[in-house]
Amino acid sequence: MGWLIDLLPLSYTESVVLVGATVLGVTAGVLGAFAVLRQRSLLGDALSHAALPGVAIAFVATGAKDASSLAVGAAFACLVGAVLVVAIERTGRLRPDTAIGVVLAGFFSLGIVMLTYLANFNNANQAGLDSYLFGQAAGMLLGDVEAMTVLCVLALAAIAVAYKPLKTTLFDTGFAGAAGLPVRAIELAMTAMLVVAVVVGIRTVGAILMVALLIVPTVVARQLTGRLATLLAVAGVTGAAVGATGALISVSSELPTGPVIVLVGFAAATAAVLLAPGRGVAWNARRLLRERRRTLAEGVLIDLETALHAGPPPTAAELTLASGRPASAVRRALRDLDRAGMLAADGDRLRLTDSGAAAAHALIERRELWTLWLEHGWRIELPDAREPDPTDLRASLGDEYADRLVALAGARAEDAR
Amino acid sequence: MSDGATIALTAMLVATACGLLGPFLVLRGQALLSDAVSHAVLPGIVAVFLLFGTRASVPVILGATAFAAICVLGIDAFRNSGLVRADAAIGLVFPTLFALGVIGITSFASGAHIDLDATIYGEIAFTPFRTVDLFGVEVARAIPIVGTVAAVNLALVVALWKELKGTSFDPEFSRTTGFSPAIVSRVLVLAVAVTAVVSFESVGAILVVTLLIVPAAAARMLTDRLALTVAATVAIGWVSALGGYGSAVALDASIAGAMGMVATGCFALALLAAPRYGVLARLAQRRRRRRRVAELLDRAGAA
Repeated sequence: MGWLIDLLPLSYTESVVLVGATVLGVTAGVLGAFAVLRQRSLLGDALSHAALPGVAIAFVATGAKDASSLAVGAAFACLVGAVLVVAIERTGRLRPDTAIGVVLAGFFSLGIVMLTYLANFNNANQAGLDSYLFGQAAGMLLGDVEAMTVLCVLALAAIAVAYKPLKTTLFDTGFAGAAGLPVRAIELAMTAMLVVAVVVGIRTVGAILMVALLIVPTVVARQLTGRLATLLAVAGVTGAAVGATGALISVSSELPTGPVIVLVGFAAATAAVLLAPGRGVAWNARRLLRERRRTLAEGVLIDLETALHAGPPPTAAELTLASGRPASAVRRALRDLDRAGMLAADGDRLRLTDSGAAAAHALIERRELWTLWLEHGWRIELPDAREPDPTDLRASLGDEYADRLVALAGARAEDAR
Repeated sequence: MSDGATIALTAMLVATACGLLGPFLVLRGQALLSDAVSHAVLPGIVAVFLLFGTRASVPVILGATAFAAICVLGIDAFRNSGLVRADAAIGLVFPTLFALGVIGITSFASGAHIDLDATIYGEIAFTPFRTVDLFGVEVARAIPIVGTVAAVNLALVVALWKELKGTSFDPEFSRTTGFSPAIVSRVLVLAVAVTAVVSFESVGAILVVTLLIVPAAAARMLTDRLALTVAATVAIGWVSALGGYGSAVALDASIAGAMGMVATGCFALALLAAPRYGVLARLAQRRRRRRRVAELLDRAGAA
């Protein structure tokens, strides 16, 4: 990967951090999706705390603070922790979050006891083991990045090969089991992949911040798509973008890499939740606002038509009085109607243009049709599961059934007389 | 009071304060909120230190509480958007706040003596050394502070017993009978945040998180009755506090860690050997059922 490092217009260390953060973003993004979609987002939290006793054991076993042996110890402890979470959940008495919390607290306590116990042996070398969980992006070496890339490619290949069984197990475990898939083995494999991502990430951004890196890409991707394949791709790209952006900002501002990546990720997730097309909070608010405005304009249009029908054309003030709406609402509705070319002013008296009168009549007819549906709709047997739409019954039921409804209502009225 | 007795008493008070709230968190699927709050308060503590240059209890607790509230409200906001699930919302908010705290430390306060472990989050071993004069008697400062929190929690749980019970088990039913699950939930979460913040300052974060989750999980294995669950939670918390202190002295290791280990041991025991829901009890039950089915089949075959 040396060529890539040479290619980037940054110093050697900065390039390594940038490439490392990007690779980590892809790995965490894609693998995190499998945890987030199963509502086990915080499994990453438990796993990153569970690494501590593993680090302590690895140190005791090898007697050295060698990065790769510590990582192996961390991975082993993480895997045990993950299996325990699933096992506790499986007893059926406790919820997933409690299982995660118990494993988190238990393993972290164990880790602390081990580290403080080690400290008694006056082995100065053990100092700083506890900071393992805080991560050190700047200390990343090219070898680390290469190992990360290999793991990332392996994990992605595994997902590509086993895509269908993974997907089935993810969304419908019961069906997957009934269809003969080895559900437990697949779940274990998914968890093991998550462990890989967590162990890789702890070294780079630290335990707590790794939690966010697993979740952010999926939250962003989920707002943009409902298909798993697309979601995985978008999550990978988002993870890479967040990692790279965070690394670049931290390099130029000399702030610690991990926290900056997390802040960038949070900004991305917030933006997605607010602005996602068709789904985001801001998008929904706009839709609601428009809907309200349209309904108000329609109401005032009917009020005006009624007033015109009853007597001389009203002024805006008279219309307000007759409609019983706040003056400001009526003013806004009249402005909207005027803009739509439905109002013809006659001095300060209000009249409807031809198009306005036509719109008012159509609207009144639609409302009457809905009233008829509420009263007589149950008598009509629809041939299929079409849904009557209150705003436009004729379009939703079709002309045939709308006409039949009118005829039926007319006949009932005749009978009553 | 001897140092040992002070530490043990403080831990028991923390166990009481946490044990009263823990079962409700576990029942509602909010156990990890305590962990979230414990990390989210970091920027509050750092901000107080940067602005006022102090690590005194009261301002630190206020700053931390402010950020605990931000954390809880942020999680609620994400969840209420309907676009992000509760667990993902927690995992988005607290690492972000923690990241803010880390940035604050590394960029402004690296020279000062402020780091991520004992100094910020409190360490139970130091409680006997920080004393306060109470009615002419010198006692460890943590005891009246944590004792007050425990008393407030007790009053809260007793006063809101019916509401907590109803909203924990059946939020829909509580809504129809006229008390809002959202309000009860807010009150509970707020109580957890305050308990956590105040206790961190005295005994450290990991012990509080452990005592909020683990004893409650163990008690949940033991009984179906809510009152018994709460009582068992507090009792397991006391056992963890006393046993943990004893084993920490014997091993010369971290007190908080040892208490957490004892609590986890209690949980493991309950998980395996609980009378009805334990793993062993279930295995025995399954074997009995299998034997009965085999017997019935035999009899049917013979007839």
